[in-house]
Amino acid sequence: MSTTDTHLHIDNVSKSFGNVQALKGVNLEIKRGSFVCLLGPSGCGKTTLLRIIAGFENASSGRLMLDGTDISQMPPHKRGFGMVFQSLALFPHMSVAKNIAYGLKLRKVSGAEQRSRVEELLNVIELPGIADRPVSALSGGQRQRVAIARALAIQPPLFLLDEPLSALDAKLRDNMQIELRQLQQKFGVTTILVTHDQHEAMMLADELVVLKDGEVYQSADPATVYQKPANSFVADFLGAANLVPANVSKDGHVMVLGQEIACDTDHPAGTSLSAAMRAEHIGLIPVSKAKGHPVGAVKFLRDLGPSTELVITVDGQDLRVRCDNATVPDLSIGAQIALSLDGTRLSTFKA
Amino acid sequence: MSISLSRPMSLAFSLPAVIAILPFLGACFYIFRFSISAEKGVIDGYSIQAYIDLMTPFFGRSVWLTLKLAFVATIIAMMLAVPLAFLLTSLKSPLARRCLTVTILLPLILNLLVQAYGWILLLGPSGVLNSALKALGIIERPIFLLFNETGVLLGLIQTSLPLAVFPIVSSVRGLSQEHLEAASSLGASHWRTFVDVTVPLLRPGLVGAASIVFAFNASAFAIPLLLGGRRVQMMGVAIRDMISPLFNWSGAAAAGMILITLTLIVLVFSSWLVRVTSEKVRG
Amino acid sequence: MRVGLLPTEGNSTYRFTVLLLATIGILISSLPVIVVTIMSFSASDNTGFPPPDLSLRWYWDVIAMFTQEDANSAQSVVDSTVTSLLVAFIVMIISTIVCIPLAYALARGDRRIRDGMELLFTLPLVFPLVILGIAFLLIAESLRMDIGIWRIVIPHVALVLPFVLRNCIGAMNGISVETEEAAISLGASPLRAIWDVVIPLMRAGILAGLIFALIISFNEFTITFFMYTIDVSTLPIWMYSRTVSSLDPSTLALSVFIIVADVVLIVLVDKLIAGRANLF
Repeated sequence: MSTTDTHLHIDNVSKSFGNVQALKGVNLEIKRGSFVCLLGPSGCGKTTLLRIIAGFENASSGRLMLDGTDISQMPPHKRGFGMVFQSLALFPHMSVAKNIAYGLKLRKVSGAEQRSRVEELLNVIELPGIADRPVSALSGGQRQRVAIARALAIQPPLFLLDEPLSALDAKLRDNMQIELRQLQQKFGVTTILVTHDQHEAMMLADELVVLKDGEVYQSADPATVYQKPANSFVADFLGAANLVPANVSKDGHVMVLGQEIACDTDHPAGTSLSAAMRAEHIGLIPVSKAKGHPVGAVKFLRDLGPSTELVITVDGQDLRVRCDNATVPDLSIGAQIALSLDGTRLSTFKA
Repeated sequence: MSISLSRPMSLAFSLPAVIAILPFLGACFYIFRFSISAEKGVIDGYSIQAYIDLMTPFFGRSVWLTLKLAFVATIIAMMLAVPLAFLLTSLKSPLARRCLTVTILLPLILNLLVQAYGWILLLGPSGVLNSALKALGIIERPIFLLFNETGVLLGLIQTSLPLAVFPIVSSVRGLSQEHLEAASSLGASHWRTFVDVTVPLLRPGLVGAASIVFAFNASAFAIPLLLGGRRVQMMGVAIRDMISPLFNWSGAAAAGMILITLTLIVLVFSSWLVRVTSEKVRG
Repeated sequence: MRVGLLPTEGNSTYRFTVLLLATIGILISSLPVIVVTIMSFSASDNTGFPPPDLSLRWYWDVIAMFTQEDANSAQSVVDSTVTSLLVAFIVMIISTIVCIPLAYALARGDRRIRDGMELLFTLPLVFPLVILGIAFLLIAESLRMDIGIWRIVIPHVALVLPFVLRNCIGAMNGISVETEEAAISLGASPLRAIWDVVIPLMRAGILAGLIFALIISFNEFTITFFMYTIDVSTLPIWMYSRTVSSLDPSTLALSVFIIVADVVLIVLVDKLIAGRANLF
C-alpha cells in the first residue's frame, strides 16, 4: 500500500438532476482512517455527494475508487458502508438489539455471535442493558448512539453520517460530537460526515471539505481552512469574517482601512483584493496611542461573559470585533476607538 | 426521493393490481359496446337505435327523478355532514370518537337489506313513526312514508352520509387552527368565522365530498329498489327493469352509459371547480 | 381549544345549530339499525311497533335455521353463508396481495404514474353498481363457462380495491425512505428491505385493508344480485329472497348478528389506523 494510503478516491464526480447541476467535477482523496467533514450551506451538494458514495444516487459522470477498485456501479447493499441518517431511521418495529444485529443477521452471523457483538457495542456506546427495549422508549441521545452502533456493527470500510446530530439540542449535540470523535478514533474507521454546522465540522474533522454550488471551495485540515481560507466564501462561512476591500501597495504590503500592513501576498502592487479579518483577530487600542491605525465609532456592545462582542463603524463599514473581557478598554456606544490589525492573521483574495 | 423504482420495476409491482382491475375495465368497455349494438339481445353490428329508443317521457321522468333525488339528498347530506365532521374532530375522548365513527360509517358498509329493514320498521304503516304519531293523537290514520320519494330520500341520505363526513373530516384536520383564531381574535362571531374563513378554506374538500355523494346517490340501486318499490323509478331500478322483465340488454346498456356520463360530468365539473377555487385560495 | 368549529362554551345559536344538525345526522345514521335490533327481540309474529313483549325466540329460530337443514328450501342459509364467507375470504386475500406492491410502487415510483393509477383505482368507487352488475352478468353469460364462485369473487375484488389500496397507501406514506435505505446500507437487497422493514411497518394498514375487504364483500348486495345463481348465492341474496314479499322477525335476528360482526370489525379497523389515516 502506498504511503499516502488513499482509501476512497472521488474522481471527477458530477451529478445533475434535470437541468440542475448538483455536483460539478468533485475530486477528493480520502485517507484511510481519517474523519472527513463535508461542510456547506443547504443546496451545496454535500448530501448528494454522500448519497453517491453510499450508492443511493448514481453519479452522472466520474468514478468512485475504493482501495483502487471502481465501485461506481456497485449497488448500495453490496458496498456495506454503514450509514447514519438525519432521521436516524431506526427500525421502529425492532428492539435495540435487533436493530444493531440486523446487518449481522443479513451476513448470516450466528445467533450467539450476534448477541456478543451487540453486547460489546452497547458497552462501547455506554448503554449496557437496553438491548431489549423498543427504540420508541429511548431518548434522543440514546437513539443517536444506537444508530451509530447499528452502522458500526457491520464493521464497515466507510462510515457515513448525514447530519446525524442536527435533531439534538445544543448541549447534547456538543457532548455527542466529542463521543462521536472518540468512537471514530477507537474504531479507526474512515468516516465521512455531512454537516452545515461549521462548529461541528471543526470539532470533528481531520479534513474539512467546504462545498458550495456543487464545487469544492477548499479541502484542508480545519486549522488551515480557518486560518487560511481559500476564498471569501470560505472565510465568511467559517465563523463570520469581516470582509473589507484591500489594495496591494507594494510587494508584501496591503492597504486596509487606510493602514498599510505587511502581509503574505504575492500579487503585484496595485491589485485590488478583498481581505478577511476574523472578529477575534482585531485588537482595540485607545485613539490617543494609535497613530496610523484605523479609527471607528462603537455601534454595538455586548458583554457575553467570556468575551465581548462589538460592532465598530470605520469609514461607514461595520466590523465585528470579539475581545477578551480582560483586554476591553472601558467603552460605551458612540465612543471612538482605534483598531489594531495583525497582518499574519489577514487573508487576502483576488476581489 | 431516492429509492426511486425504475419504470419496469414500478410496472412489475403494479401488474397484479392492474390484472385484478382488468375485469372491471372490461365490463366498462362491454357496456359501451353493447349500448351501440344493432341487436337488442346480443352484440352485433353498430347502431344508436338503443339511445334513440330511450327518448321517451318515461325514461325522461326517470332521469329527472334521479337527478332531483340525488341533488336533494346531497344537499341534506352535506348540511348534516359538516356539523358531524366538526363534532368528530372536536371530540376529545377516544371512546366517544370511536363510537361516532362506527355510527357514521356503519350505514355505508352494512348490508343494505338490513338498513332497508330498519327504514321499513321505522316508516311503515305500523312502524315506529306512525305508532308514535298515533299514540300522541297527531294522526288518526297512518301516513305513507314508504314506497314513495320520502323513504328513498331518507335511505339515500343515510347511506351516503359517511362518504360526505370522512373527506370533510380530513379537510377539517388540515385546517389551520391559526386561521380560525386569527378571525376570532379580530372580533368575528362564530357565524362570521364560519362563513368568512371556515367555508372558503374547506371549499375544495366540500365540493369533492359533495360530488362523490351525488355520484353515489345518482347510481343508487338497492335503496330505491327496497324502499321505493316500483313507484320510485330511479335510473338504477329502471335499468334493471329493462333487463329483468323486458330483456332489452342494449337499451339497459345505453341507459347505463347515460347514467355514467351524468355522474362523470358531475365529477369532472366538480374537480374543475376544486382546481379553480383552490387556486383562488392560494392566491 | 378549537375556536370556530365547535365552540366548547356559551349558548350561541351557532353552537346550537351545529349540535342540532349533528344530532339529526346521528339519528338518521343509527335509527334503522337500532330499530332492527329492538324488533329482533319482539315476542310477536308481526313487526308492528312497539313490540308487545320481549323474547329471544327469533334468535332460537336463526340457530335452528343453521342447525336443521330445511329440505324444502331451494337455497339453504348454511350454503349461502358458507359461500359468503368463502367469497369474502378469497376477495380479502387477493385484493390485499395485489395492493401491497401497488401501494409501494405508487409511493416510491414516478409521480405521473401515481396520479394516473390513483384515478384508475378510484373509478370502481364512483361507478354505478347496477351497471357494473349488468356488465359482469353479460360477460359471465357470454363466457358460457362455469366459473363457480369466481363469478362473484372477480367483481367483488374490483369493488374493494379502492378501499384496500387507500389503506395500503396510507400505511406507505408513514414509512420514510431513509428507514428503507438504512436497511439497504446495512446490506439488505432492495427486495429484502421491503420484506424486513416496509411490510412489517405497513402491518396496521394492511390489516385494516384486509378487514375492509372482508366486510365490504360480505355485505355486498347490488352486484351479487345480478351475478348469483342457484348454486352460487350469498347471504344477502338469501335474505332478499326470503323477505321480498314480507319481513319476518327471524331475518331481523339474523341481521343483528351481521350488525354485531360489522361493528366489531369496524372498531378493529378504527383501532388499527387509530385516526392516522383516512378511512377512504
